[in-house]
Amino acid sequence: MLRTRGLTRRFGGLVAVDHVDFELGGDELCSLIGPNGAGKTTFFNLLTGVLSPSDGAVELRSDDGDGWREVTGASPAETARMGVHRSYQITNVFPTVSVLENVRVAAQADADTGRRFHRNVGTFDEHYEEAYGILERVGLADRAHATAENLSHGAARQLEVAIALAGDPDVLLLDEPNAGVSSESVDQIVDLIEDVATDHAVLLVEHNMDIVMNVSDRVVVLDRGSVIADGPPEDVRNDEDVRQAYLGGYEREEEGTV
Amino acid sequence: MFLWFARRVSRVKRRWGVISTETVDRETAVDTDESWVREYARDHVAHLLVVAAFGVYPLLYSLLVALGGGVAGAFLPRPETMTAVFYFGLFAMSFDFISGYTGYLSFGHAAFYGTGGYFVVLVANGKVPLLPADTPFMVSMVLAGVLAALLAVVIGSVSFRLSGVYFAMITLGFAQVMYVFMRDWGFLSSNPRDGVAVSNDLHPAGFEIGIPGVDALNLAIGPLRGDEIEWLFLDLGATEVSYYMVGLVVLVCYFAMQRMVHSPFGRVLVAIRENEERARAVGYNTFRYKLGAFAASAFFAGVAGALFAGVRRSVSPDNSLYFLVSGDALLASIIGGFGTLAGPLYGWLFDRSVVEFLSKTGAGGGLLPLLREYLPGSVVEAQLVGGMTFGEGIEVFLNGHAPLYLGAVFVAFVVYVPGGLLGWVRNRLGGTVAKQLPAYLAKLRR
Repeated sequence: MLRTRGLTRRFGGLVAVDHVDFELGGDELCSLIGPNGAGKTTFFNLLTGVLSPSDGAVELRSDDGDGWREVTGASPAETARMGVHRSYQITNVFPTVSVLENVRVAAQADADTGRRFHRNVGTFDEHYEEAYGILERVGLADRAHATAENLSHGAARQLEVAIALAGDPDVLLLDEPNAGVSSESVDQIVDLIEDVATDHAVLLVEHNMDIVMNVSDRVVVLDRGSVIADGPPEDVRNDEDVRQAYLGGYEREEEGTV
Repeated sequence: MFLWFARRVSRVKRRWGVISTETVDRETAVDTDESWVREYARDHVAHLLVVAAFGVYPLLYSLLVALGGGVAGAFLPRPETMTAVFYFGLFAMSFDFISGYTGYLSFGHAAFYGTGGYFVVLVANGKVPLLPADTPFMVSMVLAGVLAALLAVVIGSVSFRLSGVYFAMITLGFAQVMYVFMRDWGFLSSNPRDGVAVSNDLHPAGFEIGIPGVDALNLAIGPLRGDEIEWLFLDLGATEVSYYMVGLVVLVCYFAMQRMVHSPFGRVLVAIRENEERARAVGYNTFRYKLGAFAASAFFAGVAGALFAGVRRSVSPDNSLYFLVSGDALLASIIGGFGTLAGPLYGWLFDRSVVEFLSKTGAGGGLLPLLREYLPGSVVEAQLVGGMTFGEGIEVFLNGHAPLYLGAVFVAFVVYVPGGLLGWVRNRLGGTVAKQLPAYLAKLRR
């Protein structure tokens, strides 16, 4: 679905993402983990075109099987139109319009009807239907007419995913969908992640190790910009480099509890 | 066609519960036993009421002034003022179309207003290549709008690389460059600093609004060269004819802009205002959308400028291109309601009414002449502090201080009515006036 070759991004002397070779399969749920400052968000920004790489390439393969297409340097709008959609770590929605409109306007972007300026928006039934279907899927249907900024934090996280889904993505990049969600509501979001992973390729950034180990098909660990481990959850859990990265010099004392 | 359209909309809304169950019941009744005319009329009852109110205003004004004399004249703006409210209101609406809906403050919007104004006057003076002096006003007005839109594409393609206060500043910069240039360009007239007037030799006829080429469907505007109509019991002078014809163009422009605001395109503009980063992330090329909106907005600003110059038969740098003209549009938008399309027109109406009410001469009368005329002598002579009489007091406080009081009103609006007049009304009704008014009226009837 999506792969990078030697992807590098430098900020002055700092190498935030360092020659990352990564590939995400068609119906895979891959988690990207790493300590704070490892370059996870920079990596996301490189994939979606918010930042352009200093070096290397991002490539995308669509379902129709016409091979890999290079998308390096495409703008965020272009990568979105090509099927790469993301959710944000910090809730980033359209605050003063309704929940339904948040999702509808994203569905409209995917259908490319935004340039129509002479017909009433109400005549485009299909966008309302699609938006409503997505709200039902993420469990926000009963809040469809609430103003987005009045949602609780947990519901706002669901909306965050709903907007990303409305673009009919091939690849879904979820940046900490659980950030700040209380422990009771986490299950709801986890169910949502597992649900969307059934029909999308998902790359998930997550800090909660229990969730990562439970839902992922594969785990990739990033540390100081480089991939230090890549494999099934069990293997990564026992990887010595990963322990080193997460626990620093304290691994001997912590050994018994981890 | 309308029936099909309205049913489609109500069907979708009903299914997704956009409207409450109570309204759904009424709408179901509409589908079965009411004609689409009535349904359409109800959807637009607010528009119809406003248009009707503006339609009868000049007649009502002359009637009330004839009956009530100075009192009615003091409180009601004159039809001349109302004509100015129309064309400047259109300019303020076009300003709000870009600034209120996309959130990009176009502080150099006067450039487009001035473009429209200068263009029609220069065409009438035969100074524009390929366009003869007798080009119909309707044609030169539309071309003025197109020219303004092209200018917007040029200015916008540079300015939209910036955002926030930098965008406001760079558009202001463009407008000021144009202001200085037009003020000193000798080609325009013998004294470009004072502006350009339509030459009475080259273009003696008034500017006509109507369908170009069909003489019977055109009426000239302007206080001196406007047409007059006598029809049945109606006797409309040049002022009233200008009022109606300018109002008609503004109405058409308003509906065109309203259509855009409620289209998928308009929703993208709101998405850009709300969160441009996310709008990009869901797949909109926001730069193009902003540029398109800017060009559309400039088109209507150009038309407004053309109407302004058409009524006055002249245009000057200071009343069309100067940055305070944009400032007035901002003022009208804030008083009327930022991000509501019709709001700026009401805002400017409010502003002009207050100015006229407090103005020192007020040809139609104002507060001061009213007090002078109606206060009994004993009150006027009454002593206040420091040996000043009440009569002297009102002269001191009212004579020529309209802008001062208006400033206070503006401050009060920003602090207490941040949504503006129309925003406040919407807040009270719980939705747009067009949507809520029918239900409200139905409740009153029961």
